[in-house]
Amino acid sequence: MSKWVEQFNGRMDAWGRKLHEKEIRIPIDLVTGILFFLLGLGVLLVMPDQVAISEKDVVNGRAFPTMLTVVLLLCCAMLIGKELYKLATKQPLNWKVINIQVEIKALIILGILVVTYLLSKLTGLFVVGAIFCCLGFLLYFRCRKKSYYVITLVIAVAIWAAFRFALGVDF
Amino acid sequence: MLQHIIPATGLLFTLQNILWINIGVFIGSVFAAIPGLSVILCVILFLPVTYSMTAIPGMMFLLGIYCAGGYGGSVSAILINTPGTPHAAATMLDGHPLSEQGRTKAALKIALYASTFGGVFSALMLLFLGPQVARIAAQLGTAEYFMVCVFGLTIIAGVSGKSMIKGLISACLGLLISCVGSDPMTSYDRFTFGIPRLYLGLDLAVCLIGLFALVEIMAKAERRLDRLNLDTTQIKDDGVITKAEYKRMTRPVLISSLIGVMVGIIPGTGASEASWFSYNTAKNMSKHPEEFGHGSVEGIAAAESANNAVTGATLIPLLTLGIPGDGTVAIMLSALMINGLNPGLSLFTTQGDIMYAIMLGLILVNVFMFLQGKFLTTIFAKVVSIPQEILTPIIVIFCFAGAYSVNGNYFDVGVALIFGILSWVLRKLELPPVPILLGLVLGSMTETNFRRALLISNGSPSIFFSSVYCIIFLVLIVGAVGAIVRGKMKERKASQQKED
Repeated sequence: MSKWVEQFNGRMDAWGRKLHEKEIRIPIDLVTGILFFLLGLGVLLVMPDQVAISEKDVVNGRAFPTMLTVVLLLCCAMLIGKELYKLATKQPLNWKVINIQVEIKALIILGILVVTYLLSKLTGLFVVGAIFCCLGFLLYFRCRKKSYYVITLVIAVAIWAAFRFALGVDF
Repeated sequence: MLQHIIPATGLLFTLQNILWINIGVFIGSVFAAIPGLSVILCVILFLPVTYSMTAIPGMMFLLGIYCAGGYGGSVSAILINTPGTPHAAATMLDGHPLSEQGRTKAALKIALYASTFGGVFSALMLLFLGPQVARIAAQLGTAEYFMVCVFGLTIIAGVSGKSMIKGLISACLGLLISCVGSDPMTSYDRFTFGIPRLYLGLDLAVCLIGLFALVEIMAKAERRLDRLNLDTTQIKDDGVITKAEYKRMTRPVLISSLIGVMVGIIPGTGASEASWFSYNTAKNMSKHPEEFGHGSVEGIAAAESANNAVTGATLIPLLTLGIPGDGTVAIMLSALMINGLNPGLSLFTTQGDIMYAIMLGLILVNVFMFLQGKFLTTIFAKVVSIPQEILTPIIVIFCFAGAYSVNGNYFDVGVALIFGILSWVLRKLELPPVPILLGLVLGSMTETNFRRALLISNGSPSIFFSSVYCIIFLVLIVGAVGAIVRGKMKERKASQQKED
């Protein structure tokens, strides 16, 4: 068993080393500006469907979100304009380095969170999700100390019991 | 004022309140002592617990966490040269060197005494200044309130990140998210996309769990597991502070407390700014500036008194105008409003007893913080080295249990998860999360006042320039934007010069 774990860890380390060197560089301000500009346009597009109004209203429910979206679009236009000006004058853009290894690790953590949520929801027992969460994270951190497993599981069950019996949360 | 203080003491001094203060102080100290966990995260995690409480114990619990968080960060800063909270960074400069000189207990004691003084000073300022500011706030109409909200949002958007435009994008996003649910004036549904549960809107606590807590869990992917093995048996000194040292600390503590209060009142600024500003002021005014950075008692005292003096001051704009002084007290606003306590003069008149009980309670919180600090510091010190493997799943379980308990359904847990993912994306795009929080908190108030003002003026925007207060706030907004832009340009120039 321990040999298998060693082999698995070895493979993961080798894979991690390869991924650690892989990076993507993105012009962060330009991307942010474009993304939120599209979001703003999307909000304006769905507004008539999503915000019902009465014709009699002097100031209706669309006024405030429309004003916000216009401010958002203006900010994005400024951000994009600033970056395009830098591009035209050959000034360096604001780049962000995205490390693939970090993003994959974040996805694994997200996976643990999603499975915890689904297990709790589908079984209707929060404690099942809580136990999975503990095991998932201890395995993620490659923890080998048995005492940590015991301590974490005991605390997880204690938190569930505190919410269930002391605070009266029914889960 | 006196007619409220006597009934307020009766409301405050109950076993339940004292118990919740102590639980809050303990949890706050523990969270702040652990590097990587923040006070804001702690307040978010425990906010759902207060939903079943009445106003006074709920606020006492949260204030206990908030104030103790100011002190707790110094424990790890002194012991392991890693600030538990960002505002303890200035404390670290002298706290850890003093600890290395074999005076760990003395350093912790100075931090505790200075924190307590700063906290009590700030609570007294809140007690005396709060009602006066509320009287001015009572003269504000809907247009003026809208301008106050814009002022608060602009400052926070401006100072939260590297770029003011990105801060404004975040603030707009927060305000747009606050529009989800029923229209506050007509009750028509907005941006619900056919999901009936969204008609009630998104719960603040649930959004914050995702925005600030779950994203920190995902951020574990960015960090290595660093072992913080601290041997607490090494803390062997007697912790004696000499009379001469007490004398040297008096002036920096007083001045820093005053600086902390002044900084705390301004929305968007916080404990970090106060502690660095005070540290530099104390260094400039000291007779022994050469000792700063090498274990100066004045340095520790100045930084710690300032960051705790912020705690009461941030509540002044919150309780009087509904504008939170910083991100953490923004969350407390929802704890107040859930109990029907809306900020403003009415809070000090119709709900005066409760309000004064909360303000007096802040003094009590600092007293218990002092007592716990005096007797439980060894426990806080041990907590510093709790392994991340144990801590991480426990925080996740707290997050999920907290999100579920808000409305008793898994829909909210799903919402928290979605906000966690959104926050991760925003982090990658370098968009600050605090303006989103402010947008979520102030969204309804901003929109209601905006629309009411326009209704009064029959749709004419001239109402926002019609009164003296509106003009004052407009000038303040323009001035603040100018100052922030100038500051950012200076920062950029300085960093460019460094690079060259």
